Formats: sequence, C-alpha cells, structure tokens
Amino acid sequence: MKTLYACIQCGTCSGSCPAGRYTNLRTRLIVRNIQLGLRENVLGSDDLWACTTCYTCQERCPRNIMITDIVRVARNIAFEEGHAKKPHLYVAHMFINTGHSIKFADEHRKLRESVNVSSVPPTVLSYPEAMEEISKLTELSGFKKKVLEREG
Amino acid sequence: MSEKEEPRIGVFICHCGTNIAGVVDVKQVVDFTSKQPNVVFATDYTYMCSDPGQALIKDSIKEHKLNRVVVAACSPRMHEPTFRKTCQEAGLNPYLFEMANIREQCCWVHMGEPEKATEKAKALVKAALAKASLLEPLTPMEFNVERSALIIGGGIAGIQAALDLANAGFHVYLVEKEPSIGGHMAQLDKTFPTLDCSACILTPKMVDVGRHPNITLLTYCEAQEVEGFIGNFKVKILRKARYVDEKACTGCGVCAQKCPVKVPSEFDLGLGMRKAIYIPFPQSVPITHTIDKENCLYFTRGVCKVCEKFCPAKAIRFDQQDETIELKVGIIINATGYDLFNAKKLPQYGYGKYKNVITGLEFERLVNASGPTGGKIVRPSDGKTPKSVAFIQCIGSRDEHHGVPYCSRICCMASLKHAHQVKEKIPGAEVCVFYIDLRCFGKGYEEFLVRVQDEGIRLVRGKVSEIYENPETGNLRLRLEDTLLGEVMETEFELVVLAVALVPRAEAPALQTLLKVSRGADGFFLEAHPKLRPVETHIPGIFICGCAQGPKDIPDTVAQASAAAAQAAIPLSQGKVTAEPLTAYVLEDYCSGCGVCEAICPYKAIELKEVEEGKRRAEVNEALCQGCGLCGAACPSKAIVLRGFTEPQLMSQIEALSSV
Ligand SMILES: Cc1cc2nc3c(=O)[nH]c(=O)nc-3n(C[C@H](O)[C@H](O)[C@H](O)COP(=O)(O)OP(=O)(O)OC[C@H]3O[C@@H](n4cnc5c(N)ncnc54)[C@H](O)[C@@H]3O)c2cc1C
Ligand code: SF4
Ligand code: SF4
Repeated sequence: MKTLYACIQCGTCSGSCPAGRYTNLRTRLIVRNIQLGLRENVLGSDDLWACTTCYTCQERCPRNIMITDIVRVARNIAFEEGHAKKPHLYVAHMFINTGHSIKFADEHRKLRESVNVSSVPPTVLSYPEAMEEISKLTELSGFKKKVLEREG
Repeated sequence: MSEKEEPRIGVFICHCGTNIAGVVDVKQVVDFTSKQPNVVFATDYTYMCSDPGQALIKDSIKEHKLNRVVVAACSPRMHEPTFRKTCQEAGLNPYLFEMANIREQCCWVHMGEPEKATEKAKALVKAALAKASLLEPLTPMEFNVERSALIIGGGIAGIQAALDLANAGFHVYLVEKEPSIGGHMAQLDKTFPTLDCSACILTPKMVDVGRHPNITLLTYCEAQEVEGFIGNFKVKILRKARYVDEKACTGCGVCAQKCPVKVPSEFDLGLGMRKAIYIPFPQSVPITHTIDKENCLYFTRGVCKVCEKFCPAKAIRFDQQDETIELKVGIIINATGYDLFNAKKLPQYGYGKYKNVITGLEFERLVNASGPTGGKIVRPSDGKTPKSVAFIQCIGSRDEHHGVPYCSRICCMASLKHAHQVKEKIPGAEVCVFYIDLRCFGKGYEEFLVRVQDEGIRLVRGKVSEIYENPETGNLRLRLEDTLLGEVMETEFELVVLAVALVPRAEAPALQTLLKVSRGADGFFLEAHPKLRPVETHIPGIFICGCAQGPKDIPDTVAQASAAAAQAAIPLSQGKVTAEPLTAYVLEDYCSGCGVCEAICPYKAIELKEVEEGKRRAEVNEALCQGCGLCGAACPSKAIVLRGFTEPQLMSQIEALSSV
C-alpha cells in the first residue's frame, strides 16, 4: 500500500466509479485535492458523499492506493468539521429514533406482499423490543451524541 | 615484510570535502590515532583519493618506513582498489592495507550528532588498526582464459554480441532455444522511430551469424549445466532432436507443403497456422526445418511419414535423438530477452474473452506482410477492417497492484508507431491512444510523436478503466476518465490494442540457478553496478545485455550488446585473468570431513576429496571461491580460514570496537 502522494492521476479510479457515472464525483480529484492540501475542496464538497464505498477504484488503482478507505477517513473529518449533509443527518435521526433508516410506508408493505414475503420485515418493526438494544448501541458507540451535536 | 617485523602503521584520515570533515572533528581523530600502539604516522587531508592525497601516502610509506597503511574515508567499495594500488606503487604489498569507513557508516548516518560521530570515527579507526597489525601479504592468482564465448539467446542482443566477438577474432557458440534466431525483433513489422522494416535490418545480421566462420550456431538448444569460472567455464548444451538433418536440409519447404497437420503458429502468436514440420518464419536462420514431435502424426499415431517420402534432400531423420554437447568457453553472455505480461491478469480489459482485444505484439503480426493476414489489419472476430482502433497504454506496466511497478519503456513509442500504421493502411480510420504519460525519451522520439500527432491521431490522457463488448457487433465500449477534461466517458471502438508490459522470462529463475547470477527486485538479471558496470554481473566472466537486463528498445539493446562484447573481449584478448587472493583455505588437520561447507557454498567452490581410505577432507577451488565467508562461519571445526578475514583479525577488530 502506498500513501496517496504516489497517485499518478491516471484516472482509473474515476473511470471505474459507478457513482461517478451519475454524479460529479471524480475520485481522482479527491486524491489530487488532498495531495495539494486543498482541504475545503474535499471536505466541503457534496461529491465526497456520492461514493458508494464499492471499492472498485481501490481494487484497480495501479498505485495500490487505499482510495475508498481514504474517502471514509475524509468523510469522518468532514463530519467532525461540521460538513454533515442534511439528508445524512435525517437518516441518522430516523435510525436513532425508530431503529430504521427509512420510513416504512404502505408502498413497501405492498411491494413485499407482491413478492410473497412477510408484509413487515423482521426488524424492529416486527420485534419492537429490539429498539431498546438499538438505543443502547447508538448511545454506547457515541453515534447518538455526535448526531445530536451536529443539529445544534 | 618478515613476520617478526614490528608493525609500523601509517594512518590517513580523509575529509572528503565536507562529507566527513563537516560532521567529524578530524583533528581530534588524528590526535587520538597518533597515540595508538604501532602507529608511527597519522595525518589528514581533504581528498585522500586525489593525486596529491595518494602521493602523500606514497611519500609517507617511504619516509616513515611504513609496513601497514590505514585510510579512514569512504566505503571500501569505492576506493579500496585505489589505495591498494597506491601501496603497491610504493613497494608495499597491497593487502597490507586496511580501510575504515567513516563516511557511509559514520558521518552520513549521524549528521546531527557530530560529537558522537567523532567518537565513533575513533572507534572505527581503532578497529582498523587492530586488524591492520595482523594483516599478511597476499598475492593475486592468475589463470589462463579459454578464448571462446558462449552466448545464450539469439535475439538482436545475442546476434549483435556474437557478431562483434566473432569479428574480433574469438570463437562464439550462440545458443538459441527456438528453431531460429531472431527473437522478438523478427516478429516486429516496422521499427520506431525511423519506421525501417524490422526484417530488412535484422535479416542481414541473421545471415551473417549463420555463415560466420567464427560462430557455431546452436539453435533448438538449451544450456543445461554450467561449471567453472571466468576463463574456464565447462558447459553442457542440450541439443533437442529436430528430426531433420541440419546439413542435408536445403530449406526447400516441400515437407511443410505436404505435411497434413496444421497447428497454431507460435511465431504468429496463434493468429495463423503452421505445419507439424516447419520453420517459424520465411527468413529463419538456419533454414533447417523442425518436426514438432507433439503434433506430428508419425510420432503421435505411428502413421504418415509424408515428409520423408517427398523430401528431395532425404533429410528427414525420425530416429534422431536429443544430444548433449560439451563446450569449454572463457566467458558467457546472457542475452535471453523478455516475455510479455499476461493481460488476462487484468480481466477488466477482456483480453482472452473478447476477440477484438489484442496485444501490441499480435498487432505487429497482423500488420506484417509475412504475417497471417498478409499485412492486412483486420478484426479477429470477423475479418473486417476496423474503422476505429484504440490503443491502451500501461497494461501491467506501472501497476504495482496487479502488474509490475516499472515502466516498460518501449510501449509509448510502439503504440504511436501502430497508430501511424493504422492511419497509413486504413485511410479515414479513427485512431486514439489512451495514455497516462507519454514517454518519448529517445533520439528522434519526440519528433516522431509530433509527426504522429500531425497525422490526426487522437491522444487522450486517462487510463481506460474497463471494456465491454457489444456481443452483436463485436465492438468494444471503453469506459474512462479524460483526466484533462475531468470528464467520465464511454466510447466505442472496433479494435482495441493493449500495450502490455515487458516482463522477465518465465525461465529466468532456472537460468539464474544455472549461472549463479543475481536478479533484481523486478525479476530481470542484475548488472554489477547500475551506472558504472552495466553489462557485467557479480560473477566474473558472465555478462548481460538486452532485455534480459531490463526492458529496452532496439537501439539500447544493440548498444548494450556491443558493450557486453567489448567487456567480454577484455579477458578473451588478454588470455589471462587475475583473481583476488581473498579466498578460503582448509586447515586439513582440523577438518573432519563433515561436508557442511560443501553444501553451503553458493559458488560450488568446495569439494570433499578422499585423502585416504574412508577419510574425506574439504578442498577449496580458489578460482571459484568469491570470498563470501559462508563456509568459514558454518564450519563446526573452525577448519576454514578466509584470507584477509581470519578469525584473529576479525576478533581483534571486534575487541577494539568494544573497548572504546
Ligand atoms: C509490440 C512491440 C513492439 C516493439 N517495437 C519496437 C520498435 O519499433 N523499435 C524498437 O527499437 N524496439 C521495439 N520493441 C522492443 C524490441 O522487441 C526489443 O528491444 C528487442 O527485441 C530486445 O531484444 P533481445 O535480444 O534483448 O530480446 P528477445 O528479442 O526477447 O530475444 C531473446 C532470445 O533469447 C532466446 N532465449 C530466451 N531464453 C533462452 C534460453 N534459456 N536458452 C536459449 N535461448 C533463450 C529467445 O528465444 C529469443 O530468441 C518492441 C517490443 C514490442 C513488445
Ligand atoms: S487510480 Fe490510483 S493512481 Fe490512478 S488517479 Fe486514481 S488514485 Fe491516482
Ligand atoms: S510425418 Fe509428421 S511432420 Fe512429416 S508430414 Fe507427417 S505429420 Fe508432418
């Protein structure tokens, strides 16, 4: 494994990126901006959050750079520095409060029934007592505190 | 110097400009040194290796009747030979010289700690003094040199080296494992940057090799055993049966015409066919045909013999056997060339899966008039002329993740050449080269790039990430980022050519064991020094050239081959070599004949000899011994002594170091 300073800007990562096909994410440019120390270009950009962490770029990078892992680290820093995006916070809240990251709606119920699986998934929705465990975990891991801090 | 004579040591401490004097307090070291036992003279100087520096040593030897000299300076790898000669010129045996390395092993690693470095320099000098007192005079050995050469590999490198040595008057045995010499260059169509036809410039040299009175050409042969040392190598060559009499065969080719068996041609990389009796290509040297036993009907099923029936020269010999030839040669040149990277290791490019994804060398065969398509560039899938061709660079090269870390050096130019050839042969074709960096570093190379750019070839900076085939058309969709635009795109081509890396031969490990030479981290054979000894190996008398040493183009290969021939001609023309006397010897009375040393010696320099019934003793062949010292360290009976590094010498050095 090499540090990202070994990047030759070949673009294998961007060209491989499934998210980059539909968004402005240019994986190569994340690496370039970090090389040049242009923090805000990375941390303040929406593109950072478009990565699906599929690891295709990391698997193909000829310089063996841990690109996807670097994206994850950059996201953690961005979050710490107040760059959390509204939709992410919304999802985090949903999870903390309901144990589900999206709202379970009628359409989901219908879809499930149409393919003959239980109408409600075997999650907190079927086992409400599991919510207590989720609360404990989000608290213990510090996840809850971090998310609530961002709100203020 | 008689053994009883008291040591009179002169010590010379070098500043090496500011390399040493900028860190170590040289005056303090001189002061300290003058007070050591047996030291009769100690001084310092800015550059000991300079002429005045050496004159200072010579004058001091005479003036102070010195019988030992110690220089504290750089690594002995740099200047030990210089100072040994200096001593010799002043009448002192050159092996009564000892060097203390206070530069690499002191100043350079302790730049921030001058006081401690000064103390360490004193310790290193003291250790050198301890050893110097115990040094004994030694005399280098001399051996006669067999005035002939073995060259392994008959590509352009081996061909050039063979012709140079043969023209200089030495006999050359040129061993090639394939039925013909020529190597990869014979497979090329035109050669960058001048675009001369490869065969037109190669075949005259091949023909010269074939008829040179000083060259014995051994094709379809492989070196099997190598023994001995510079000047005196004994080599066993396996001559594989080709089932055709080389002297009788006229190369008329009737046999191949009549032979009913067709198999994919190795020379055409499977793009065309050959017969079971064949020559790899029309200009093969020798023109002798070869029966491929694996596919011949007579050998596989016991029927046929059509070739024998039709051969007008009666040259077919089904009873021919493999033979072993024994040779004595003075030097060996390794010119075994390269292999190509297997592009299947990068499945995202679809090589081996999509028919219209080919390699650069396959393109060479397609575009070559004597190739399987008669020089027409066509798609393997449907034989159609492609209207768009993409070239993808760095497949395997510069890829430490799935390929090789180095740049293969020739691919940028080769793909530009191919791009030009497409434009020339398919007017109006769209041609695009996808690159990371364009490295056109050689003479006339940048000019060639400009020429090709002017022809309307598109250059896109960005490594293609993946390729998909449209199964209906056989066309290929390339996905990539144009890094200069920052735009991710998908574009379609009818033919894709991969510029695959040049890699070490698959047989390189076996050859390494055979020749006992080294290979570098990249797997290519290693030169003795990357700048100053580029064609020697660390085994005296064994040289390297061409792509066996690393990827390179034909101009560099030929230059290196001539350089190897020139280096090899030195011992051959002198007829004699001298060898360092820093070798091992056995104290016979101590030796129990256990054989540990024989097993451990990497140069096979030790042999157990029966001295009387049931009693074996180790014996060192001083010509083979490289003085590595493994045997001495391994011997449980302390029966092996390494001249210049005896146990008392080394122990005194260690004691001196630990007493400071
Ligand atoms: C697609 C492509 C295009 C190129 N185009 C150009 C160009 O236009 N211009 C240019 O300057 N360069 C070009 N090159 C580079 C060129 O091929 C090399 O520079 C040249 O062939 C090196 O010659 P060589 O003799 O060192 O190695 P090789 O050509 O590999 O020859 C080595 C020979 O040794 C033999 N051999 C190997 N092992 C053994 C063994 N154990 N015993 C006996 N024999 C053995 C092999 O059979 C072979 O005949 C190109 C390369 C490629 C891949
Ligand atoms: S694939 Fe690797 S080397 Fe190429 S641009 Fe992306 S990070 Fe840099
Ligand atoms: S005997 Fe073998 S080589 Fe000769 S013609 Fe028949 S198949 Fe071909």
